[in-house]
Amino acid sequence: MAYRVILVEGNQQMLERLSGVIRSAREFELAARYQRAGDALGQGSVFKPDIVLVDIDSNDNVSLLEDFVATFSAASVFCLSDKWTPSDSEVIAKAGARGFLIKPFTADELQEAVATFAKTGISAGAEVFSFFSSKGKSGKTTLISNLGFSLAQKTGQQVGIIDADVQFGDMAVFLNVAPKTTILEAARDINFLSPVTLNGYFAPVDDNLRVLCGTSRPEYAEQIGIKNFTEIIAMARSMFRYILIDLPQGFNPISIAAAEASDVTYHTAMINGGFEIQHMQRALEIFKAWPDYENRVKTIFTRVSPCDKEERHKLSQALGYPVAAIIPNEYMLVSAAANNGQMAMRVEPDSMFAQTVNRLADDIIGKTHIRWGNP
Amino acid sequence: MADARRGIVITVFSTASAVGKTLISINMAAELAKQGYRVCLVDMDLQFGDVCNYLQLQPQRTLTDAVTALETDKNSFAVQDFLTTYDRYDVPFGVMAAPLRLEEAYNIQTASVKEVLLQLQLRFDFVVIDTASMFSDINLTAMELSTIVTFLGIVDFIPTIKNMKSGHDSIREMGFDVNKIRMVLNRSNSKTRIDLQDVEQLLGSEFYHILPNDFGAAQRSIQTGCPLVLDSKATPLKTEMRNLVARYTNRPLEKAKEDSVSWFKKIFQ
Repeated sequence: MAYRVILVEGNQQMLERLSGVIRSAREFELAARYQRAGDALGQGSVFKPDIVLVDIDSNDNVSLLEDFVATFSAASVFCLSDKWTPSDSEVIAKAGARGFLIKPFTADELQEAVATFAKTGISAGAEVFSFFSSKGKSGKTTLISNLGFSLAQKTGQQVGIIDADVQFGDMAVFLNVAPKTTILEAARDINFLSPVTLNGYFAPVDDNLRVLCGTSRPEYAEQIGIKNFTEIIAMARSMFRYILIDLPQGFNPISIAAAEASDVTYHTAMINGGFEIQHMQRALEIFKAWPDYENRVKTIFTRVSPCDKEERHKLSQALGYPVAAIIPNEYMLVSAAANNGQMAMRVEPDSMFAQTVNRLADDIIGKTHIRWGNP
Repeated sequence: MADARRGIVITVFSTASAVGKTLISINMAAELAKQGYRVCLVDMDLQFGDVCNYLQLQPQRTLTDAVTALETDKNSFAVQDFLTTYDRYDVPFGVMAAPLRLEEAYNIQTASVKEVLLQLQLRFDFVVIDTASMFSDINLTAMELSTIVTFLGIVDFIPTIKNMKSGHDSIREMGFDVNKIRMVLNRSNSKTRIDLQDVEQLLGSEFYHILPNDFGAAQRSIQTGCPLVLDSKATPLKTEMRNLVARYTNRPLEKAKEDSVSWFKKIFQ
């Protein structure tokens, strides 16, 4: 059965154009169309629509969104605009609208929008977590891939991973995906994308888990502009509930921009008998420039042995800063999983590694529950 | 100085961290110095370099000071004024330390670093450069200047090998002379299920030299500040590090000068 659509568009030419697209789209039927929002609100219920498309560039349609949602309570309200902005996204989500489309759209984009937002609706703003390391080999890619999996499993909500380790990103290998598009193409195209179309740049990994992979070649890294990169993060906020960003080592324009755009930056380091604590201390000094750094910067040590409270306390003492989490040394499990494109916590869900990652996920969810007022 | 003889530059590079670049760099520098060459080790892992940590040095002046002095007055710039001397075990070599502060490292100019390296080449037989694991302007500049690039890799798991492959391909496509890129495998017998020949086939070239895994010896070296090649204890890793240097200098181990010469103090006069 086709979706019955009501289209509300102030511009006559655009109304005609979009009407044509809807009529030609498989599984969609144009039930009614209006230039004035008042007409749609007053008359549209006669047609029992499944989907209401409302142009938010015209008149004061944004202020009427709540009316649309209330009037067409059995339908999904989608907003139409020339360009996506983060503030639009927030307003739309607050009003209870289901999703967003850049106009003019194609039949494929309409279908994709409905498929994408049917699951989750537009997000009022994901929480963004960046994973920074002073040097490489910190274990953060292993941690992020498994943490993403855990968050998606535990919450049933959409989780996005962005591999911003732009030269040597490994997330595609860890998650065993062969992406058609990467962060390179997303950054190139971002000014023409909406949350629906950006979603297509993320490769599906699992139910509720998607990844925007790193570049296929190190030399492509320099083509990723910082402004466009931060636009990706901003737009992704309206697509996911949680976003995890894998950063390149050290301080560079990408890692700084991502940390600035994140709610929390986890400084991750692997215990390897070197100078990891000293390096982390030096990096923390930089982060202390943020007035709220104590809330925004957290630390994680990986490959910790023994992985217990006492060791965590020792590390915290040595660091002079709280340690948010410690991850055990389960090298054989983690490396075998990575070699086979599997998630370590799926291979051995009862392992200590899986337990500690799950605990970190619980911390994140718990914190989120407080912030969002959920139980 | 138009015809001044310039020394050999060896850059130690990798596409992954924690593969042993710093350990190899300090041992190369120490072995070359032990053979009587004039050697300078440059820490170009600017933000989180470990050369001074590994050698237990506390530098008073760093690359930042050198670059600042150079940019202020090139004519009176004397690169040796900015070196820290490692002179334990009667094997002296110079160290150009990484910046002490992260903000200094972040703002350092590649052109100035290049000039510092050129100046070092005029004073030393060998300039050994330790790098951060990335393709940055500064690393590419070092590689361009280099006589040899030691591209260090380990075969631990697939993601590392993928990055070694893509880094290797990138270096080739950047037009670097194939002969100057030497693939060196570190920790060859570490725990892994990956076949070395498969990796070589993937890379399209064989490893130039192979260093055995000896995590314990490496840890001891870091804890004591003594490069393995200067340690009296014989280990397979020490032997292979010395063999690698011998291949670079084309001087078999037994013929290498074991006595250090008194040239070093003259450099700083």
